[in-house]
Amino acid sequence: MKTIQFLIGFFLSVQLVQAQDYGMYWKYKDYDGAIAVSLPRWATFTGSAFLEEKADRQLMRKVKKVRVLFFEDGTPFSQRDIKRFQHKAKRRNLDELLTVRTGKTHVNVFVKERRDAIRKVVVFFSSPEGAGLVTLKGNFRLDELNRVFEKSTKGKKKEGNPTIPNLPKVPVLRA
Amino acid sequence: MKQFIFSLLFLFGGAYAASAQQDAITRFFNQYAEDERFTVVYIAPKLFHLAAKIETDDEDWNNIREIVKDLGGLRVLVADSIEDGVALYKTALSKVPVSEYSELLTVRDKDEHVRIWTKDSGNIIEELLLLVGKPDEFVLLSFTGKIDLDKISSLSKVLDVKGAEQLEKIKPAKN
Repeated sequence: MKTIQFLIGFFLSVQLVQAQDYGMYWKYKDYDGAIAVSLPRWATFTGSAFLEEKADRQLMRKVKKVRVLFFEDGTPFSQRDIKRFQHKAKRRNLDELLTVRTGKTHVNVFVKERRDAIRKVVVFFSSPEGAGLVTLKGNFRLDELNRVFEKSTKGKKKEGNPTIPNLPKVPVLRA
Repeated sequence: MKQFIFSLLFLFGGAYAASAQQDAITRFFNQYAEDERFTVVYIAPKLFHLAAKIETDDEDWNNIREIVKDLGGLRVLVADSIEDGVALYKTALSKVPVSEYSELLTVRDKDEHVRIWTKDSGNIIEELLLLVGKPDEFVLLSFTGKIDLDKISSLSKVLDVKGAEQLEKIKPAKN
């Protein structure tokens, strides 16, 4: 009997964790001014047919789900929301890749990696000009990403000194 | 029994004390992480590891890979419109555990103070700490990982972060 109770409890908690996974998305998707898009696998699969490059098509077909939440004017996310989101993301084994905060602008990139493949990418940004949350689920192997990078960089003109693309620009707040 | 309980208490107490003992620089960084006068950037080791795994024929990308492949992480705290830049510099300076770091470079030019420290383990530099203090500007930059001074000085070109140009002052000795 105890085993059954434990199993029920376990499965319920798993469901609960999954439901909370997009807490931010579900909380704000019906807000005024929110643009919320949720693309299932079949949509990305169909969309991939319109891509010219084979490597791009293959990569696109690896996308399982895309969720986008976007606010054009201002941000509804409070500091508390941002803190909770960052805390939850870390608790759910998302690895923090990048964090930038300047003034009231926050940018966070999280990723979940398993067996040399990226399974989930979460990009969150919030600023007085706009805010958004992009969640991408899939199975992107690093060698496939390599192929796409290679394709995109092939035929690139090389002249003069190599130009190194900058890492994210860091605007400094003028007080 | 008494001994067992005492040893357990001692063990947990010790573990708690160790976890609470964040290094002074991290504490200083966290202290100002939410301050809107400052810009905060954190690049996790994972991002560098992912970047290092992506191989392409692109020369520019390979240059970046070479630079970042051994880097562990990067933390930047910048403010360029503050009134107490030098005071902050002095506060940060007092937090640096001098016994752990060795001073690599010191520059004092009128109101500008620059200090670079390294934390070594054998022949390997494990951490590089840059502090810049001017009356209206403050920069704290910390690299971790296996650091090659030659590569780090060229990283200043990649990083579009105020104060990173000070890294160019590191000129490794030519054999």
